[in-house]
Amino acid sequence: MRTSNVSYLVKKGITSVWKNFVMSFASFSILLVSLLQISIAVLVMTNIDIIMGNIEDMNQISIFVVEDITDAQLDHIKSVLNNNADLTDVQYISPDEGKIRFNENLGEYAEIMEYLEENPVPHSFFARVKDIQRIRPVVTAVQSIDGVEEVRAPYDFASALQNIRKTFSVIVIGVMATLVLVSIVIISNTIRSSVFARRNEITIMKYVGATNGFIKLPFFVEGMFVGVVAGAASWGLTWFVYDSIFSLFTDNFTLWEMFGFFNLIPFDGVCWTVLGINCAAGALLGAVGTIISMGKYLKV
Amino acid sequence: MVEMKNVNVHYSSGVDALVDVNLRINDGEFVFIVGESGAGKSTLMKLMMRELVPSSGRVFVNGYNLSKLKGNRVAKFRRSIGVVFQEFRLIQDFTVYENVSFVLRIADQSGKYIRQRVPYVLNLVELAHKAKSRTKELSGGEQQRVAIARALANDPGLLIVDEPTGNLDPKRSYEIVGLLKEINRCGTTVVMITHEHELVRYFGGRIINLDKGTITFDETIGGNDENE
Repeated sequence: MRTSNVSYLVKKGITSVWKNFVMSFASFSILLVSLLQISIAVLVMTNIDIIMGNIEDMNQISIFVVEDITDAQLDHIKSVLNNNADLTDVQYISPDEGKIRFNENLGEYAEIMEYLEENPVPHSFFARVKDIQRIRPVVTAVQSIDGVEEVRAPYDFASALQNIRKTFSVIVIGVMATLVLVSIVIISNTIRSSVFARRNEITIMKYVGATNGFIKLPFFVEGMFVGVVAGAASWGLTWFVYDSIFSLFTDNFTLWEMFGFFNLIPFDGVCWTVLGINCAAGALLGAVGTIISMGKYLKV
Repeated sequence: MVEMKNVNVHYSSGVDALVDVNLRINDGEFVFIVGESGAGKSTLMKLMMRELVPSSGRVFVNGYNLSKLKGNRVAKFRRSIGVVFQEFRLIQDFTVYENVSFVLRIADQSGKYIRQRVPYVLNLVELAHKAKSRTKELSGGEQQRVAIARALANDPGLLIVDEPTGNLDPKRSYEIVGLLKEINRCGTTVVMITHEHELVRYFGGRIINLDKGTITFDETIGGNDENE
């Protein structure tokens, strides 16, 4: 097709937005609400994922060594732990340091320790497992190091987190798929009404030899144009809504930090990405809605 | 050229719309297809436009075998014919110019050609002065002229005209058929479907009568207009 005719059809599609203002506005409103829901859901779910990651990072294993450990064995354990790619923040705690920490934990009962002749706290190490799913093989590997007596790991916590994460992923996929599906159904019905109102125009075009592509293009442009505008508008609304929610957590940072609410995504950081995705999703939904709606009227 | 060989059209409702129809319309002819309501005139037209395929038999129009024409080639075929409908079927929001020019855009003609061709065909139907008018602002006769101009835009070899005078008063009806006769004299084959026998008698020419899906009469008669 000639460029001049393509640009004519594109222009026709855009002017149709104004000519069919009521239907365009209906499509715009539905797309706006759908895209707002989807983008807020994506941002909230991404942040929940970050929070889950933060909580996971809090997991720590404690490694206790045998009582009669030699300096050489201690150095060996240190070296093996530091070289283990699955571990991070490896920290050596001497018996004296361990005793101080223990006293702190005992609080008002700390004087009990005074009655002991020898310091009962052994040499120990603390480390974080990078990937909580690998906690069991990591513990087994650490357990086999010469001089290690016991490794304590939060298996229940890890297992609970893994289950929560799996369930969360399923919910995320389900919610997203439902939102997208519902949006497409509603949008295609709205566009179908618009197409129905112009069915005579479509029939005439078919009778005078228009190809389906020629007929579809202006509707396609119209759907995409409305989608892009709705995408941009939903981006603005998302910004407002998200910032309001975000400030709730950042204003009382210390309190929320305890529950893993840190490193949350500020909207400024994803501003252009969200705009791009919203506009692209709007255009796609508008286009898909158009394709679904038009088929019936092209069979002339 | 239009040719139908042993054409039968059987609708799922049980109606036999056309029964063993054989006809041949040569290039340059002007043919009236007449008959009562339900005689099969519209079915015949739908076959010629490839809106319908026959239950059996073969239909050839402008060198296309419509019985075997694939869906993706129908658009190209339709650009080789011109069609005028009783109810005009113009796009009401378009201007007269746009109603004619969009057919040329469909045919992927250049802007320069469109700017030359549209005034030419509007001039043929004496509506050049109304090019910028909205279609809905025109009278019935004028709208039918726009429909004829649109059908002529692609310079088709065959013009299929369905009850073009059905929505017009007698004076306008004679003008429209007169215009179609003029177009025919320029070499375009015209197939006009009508049930207005007075018009047919007045203009004369080849007349094909359909009755219950069968051709019962196919003769050429002289018309009064030839004596004027």
